[in-house]
Amino acid sequence: MAVYTGPVQDLVDELGKLPGIGPKSAQRIAFHLLKLPRDDALRLAQVITEAKARVSWCERCFNVASEALCDICRDDRRDPSVICVVEEPRDVVAVEKTREYKGRYHVLGGAMNPLEGVGAEQLRVRELLARLADEAVTEVILCTNPNVEGETTALYLAKMLQDVPIKVTRIASGLPVGGDLEYADELTLGRAIEGRRTV
Amino acid sequence: MLLTRVWLTDFRNYASAELEPAPGLTVIVGANGQGKSNLLEAVGWLAGLRSFRAAPTEALVRVGADQAIVRGEADRAGRALLIECEISRTGRNRTLVNRQPVRRTRDALDHLRAVSFAPDDLELVKGGPAERRRYVDDLLVAVHPRYETVRSDLDRILRQRAAVLKQSGGRSSPEIEATLDVWDTRLAATGEELAEGRAALLADLAPIVARAYLDLADAGAVDVTYAPAWRAEGLAGALAAARPDELRRGVSLVGPHRDDVGLDLDGLPTRTHASQGEQRSLALALRLAAARRLATTLDTPPLLLLDDVFSELDDARGEALLAHLPPGQTLVTTATAIPPGSRPERVFRVESGAVVPDLG
Repeated sequence: MAVYTGPVQDLVDELGKLPGIGPKSAQRIAFHLLKLPRDDALRLAQVITEAKARVSWCERCFNVASEALCDICRDDRRDPSVICVVEEPRDVVAVEKTREYKGRYHVLGGAMNPLEGVGAEQLRVRELLARLADEAVTEVILCTNPNVEGETTALYLAKMLQDVPIKVTRIASGLPVGGDLEYADELTLGRAIEGRRTV
Repeated sequence: MLLTRVWLTDFRNYASAELEPAPGLTVIVGANGQGKSNLLEAVGWLAGLRSFRAAPTEALVRVGADQAIVRGEADRAGRALLIECEISRTGRNRTLVNRQPVRRTRDALDHLRAVSFAPDDLELVKGGPAERRRYVDDLLVAVHPRYETVRSDLDRILRQRAAVLKQSGGRSSPEIEATLDVWDTRLAATGEELAEGRAALLADLAPIVARAYLDLADAGAVDVTYAPAWRAEGLAGALAAARPDELRRGVSLVGPHRDDVGLDLDGLPTRTHASQGEQRSLALALRLAAARRLATTLDTPPLLLLDDVFSELDDARGEALLAHLPPGQTLVTTATAIPPGSRPERVFRVESGAVVPDLG
């Protein structure tokens, strides 16, 4: 591929490092940015700088936060006795959208994935155990992804927590609400049948 | 299910060709290198969306063309079914069923099933355990689709677990042990599930294979067994016992990914003790049995594609094969003469990329 003049190529290279952005998209975004009015481009640069400077990880749950604690941990209407363990901050947002969950969170920062060099020690497991010792928690909900890595992480946490006298639960797997059975894949449908209940 | 017409465009050496298989036995004759196997490969693609010769897609597109097209017309209980496959040299392949694009490969596969035999299948008997595992697991997935995810989960778990073993560098620590514990739990659960599926399928299949072999060879008791050592104590126990060894060597040593399927003839392992002819007949018997087993699940027999099968068998066995074909449609290619005494419903001759009815 042809190399652009210095600063343009730098921009393309940096954009290309972003997740989900290939070389072609990087070029397209780079030229889009170059075409933008100066103010718009500067605003983008500024919000990135600002976000980097002001956003940090919540000291308690490791969600994104703009102060020492995240918005959820600072909210005293939240139930401190339940902790929902998720992989990433974006999973917090996903659970929050349900508006059903009133407890707090704990963000692991990923799932156990030895192929990518992520083991339990790279995740915030120790921090979770410390919280269980310090806070008056009665239930931990393991809300990791229902894939091989997420299930294994949930299993690992369940094992670590088996001697702690609290309730440990795992979210259910099953059919999407409002969907049609005929469009469900066999695995999901199989799990849903496995986890059926009497009505 | 009856495949009534197949036509190809720019597939392998065919610019364009058409074939109307008979409801029973169709034989495709021609000298070597004329495109007989290519024709079967195209039919196999309709049924499996992959090449039974494991060829990359760019090899399937005729030189100079961008994409190959394989179309198949079938009759399913009086309803017409049209399957169209576009095989692209570089881009994505597309499949349409009755002119509707198919979203998932699995949905396309449900329409037409095939079991194929190729000379390379001798490896089922002669080759390593991996060949036999693939044979069993492929059939298991075809019979019980849910094993597709069991199989892919197992594969993923094994790769993750192998990474842990490798990263341990041969040393144990509480952290490594705790991590291996959970991967072992996952491997044990998934592995037991797959092994149970394999055992049940093979118990079903063993008498069918034995019968198919006897039909071909006229003598010889074939026994198909699946008895991995770990199944007695359970995979969890076996993994715990193998832990020190696995850590020291940094590789996975026990589980369904290391198992073998026993193929004995008159009490002796065929891989080492059977003659070449016996091995060939057994490989063919395994495929024929798979077709018969699949027929009981699908309620309609799968297409049977036998590539260059007579070169593998003497006249007596060739005749025996045609006399004992499973019910349903069979397509056979041959470079040599059709065994005397057999009466195929249709014969086609292939010559340098053209398919013509052979009028004898």
